[in-house]
Amino acid sequence: MSELLQIGSPNERPYKPRPEDLTLRFSEKAIAELESLKTHYPNLRACILPALWLAQREYDGYLSGEALAEVAFRLNRSYAEIEGVATFYTMYNVAHKPGKHKIEICTCLTCHLCGAYRLRDHIKAKLGIGHGETTEDGMFTLEEVECLDACDRAPVLQVADEYIGPVDEAAFDKLIDTLRKTPESTVVKLADEIVKVQLMADENKAAAQLPNVTPSEVRADSTGAG
Amino acid sequence: MAEYKLLFEHAHDPQYQTLAGYQKTGGYEALKKALGGERQAVIDEIKASGLRGRGGAGFPTWIKWNGLPKEKKTSHYVLCNADEGEPGTFKDKQLMEQTPFLLVEGMTLAGFATQSEIGYIYIRGEFVDCARALRKAIDEAYANNLLGQNILGTGFNYDLHIHMGAGSYECGEESALMSSLMGERGMPRLKFPHAPLPTVSGLFERPTLINNVETYCCAPFIVKNGGAWYASIGAGTKNSRGTKVFSVSGHVNMPGNYEIEFGTTLNELLDLAGGMKGGKLKACVPGGSSVPMIDAEMVGRAVLGYEEMADVKSMVGSGGCMFLNEHTCIVTFIWRTALFYANESCGKCTPCREGTRWLLQIMERIRSGGGRAGDIELLKQVCSQIDGRSFCGLGDAAAWPVAAALRVFPQEFEYFIEHGHSIVDSKAMLAMAP
Repeated sequence: MSELLQIGSPNERPYKPRPEDLTLRFSEKAIAELESLKTHYPNLRACILPALWLAQREYDGYLSGEALAEVAFRLNRSYAEIEGVATFYTMYNVAHKPGKHKIEICTCLTCHLCGAYRLRDHIKAKLGIGHGETTEDGMFTLEEVECLDACDRAPVLQVADEYIGPVDEAAFDKLIDTLRKTPESTVVKLADEIVKVQLMADENKAAAQLPNVTPSEVRADSTGAG
Repeated sequence: MAEYKLLFEHAHDPQYQTLAGYQKTGGYEALKKALGGERQAVIDEIKASGLRGRGGAGFPTWIKWNGLPKEKKTSHYVLCNADEGEPGTFKDKQLMEQTPFLLVEGMTLAGFATQSEIGYIYIRGEFVDCARALRKAIDEAYANNLLGQNILGTGFNYDLHIHMGAGSYECGEESALMSSLMGERGMPRLKFPHAPLPTVSGLFERPTLINNVETYCCAPFIVKNGGAWYASIGAGTKNSRGTKVFSVSGHVNMPGNYEIEFGTTLNELLDLAGGMKGGKLKACVPGGSSVPMIDAEMVGRAVLGYEEMADVKSMVGSGGCMFLNEHTCIVTFIWRTALFYANESCGKCTPCREGTRWLLQIMERIRSGGGRAGDIELLKQVCSQIDGRSFCGLGDAAAWPVAAALRVFPQEFEYFIEHGHSIVDSKAMLAMAP
């Protein structure tokens, strides 16, 4: 089976902290941002995805058990629910601490037609890591991803919020040199940008007096029993 | 036929991304016109235009817009599906980056027509650039009373929020998207007739209108110029009206988005993209990875229209046109397609979760030279057992490309199984192979 289907050990899960070990790490700014985001939705559950992005930024680009527990605490949901949601989506770094820079290479249909696998092999050789692995110095993580929807720029890479393409071997080597000189983590930067675009410039301008819909009222079959 | 630039007419002008520049080219005239009249008038124009959903299914847009309760009892929501993830498609990305106000105005029109008070744009997490462009547009609209309380003094209140996804192809399916926005794992829900339509019970169990980015972007033009005018574009086709953006990629000289009138031929689209690169045309996947592929002969007679594409046993889909040259190994291409669907299956229903893995396993076996005599029959059987039996369209979409490739290029599979290597044997092919 292709290695793309597997990342890490299937049994690996974030460690759930005991309640007495729970330390809250959200900064005051993050708490204020979360309060603003809450006003966009009629209930707290809908705020889980934005809150996880916030947590990913606050916890250095990595959703540890503590981060998930804090999200659960702040949204008044259970830890299990938050872990369940976070593990579904590929952009949340759950249970695996990524390097400072995450290099995502698209090897999907068009990119593979345009030589993405050759580029991937070059990256693997250059960095000495495979899919889902991090270099020993903690600098780079490589991930093969599915279509990034920039097929006109194939083969394309994503680093933080930027798409880079079309990329050849020389362009990649240059990119690595630039990234090595970048002091801040681009993984954190991506989470920060995603939080920022969801916040209005002036939250007071919003018109809606949202009805308070409780999750139980919303959907009795929320476990997916359908 | 050349390009017909309607949505993209001013796309390359950076001023178009500002409110002043947008208004200079007739922006927000549609909203002013609509707010001065009846809500139903907007829906009637959409009906007259013959607009069909641009996300892939081609469902008549007006039926959705008309489907929300006329007598409002609870909140109504407007939802924009900007979770573009179909391999080969990148039209919504460019629309959001370059024409954000079209989407904002289109969604405001939809909000007015359906008596909604809130709209959400669900953008896939990777599209930060799109979200930034939209954020700027939305903030500017709020500052100029085009969103928020009492829009343009008409008493219409409407909010627009951006919701970022976090990496899941499945969330582009409308019911999975709603689950995701509600803070759940992005898994699909039961659909009509087993469950109510989203227009009756959708997001937060409230009446919800959900459309693709491109569909909303068409609305301002239709309301401003009238549905009859829009219906005159592409009138040569059976039942496809207006323009459609096609994302052309693969082995072409100038990959990119091309907006054309319905009724244009696939060959003309290929010419717009600068023709083939690196070899002769072998096959084309005309509407995103999910739709059945066609060979060069079928490309020669394919006309772009929802019904017309059925003549070559394919579909318009979401408009992601991938052209493959003669050095492409179809078996490898289908292996990669199978890998994509196995990777993205959400795991809710058995036919899709197991079936996509089966398809991948068999393709992996063939590709590594260990194909068995009965593998083609087995592939066909698995495809027929996924198709129509999965919870949502992802299962069907996983089965169609495999079934179509087996139909159109059977000799490639037979050769690969018999000889353990591809029928295509050239350096260009080796460069692509993983």
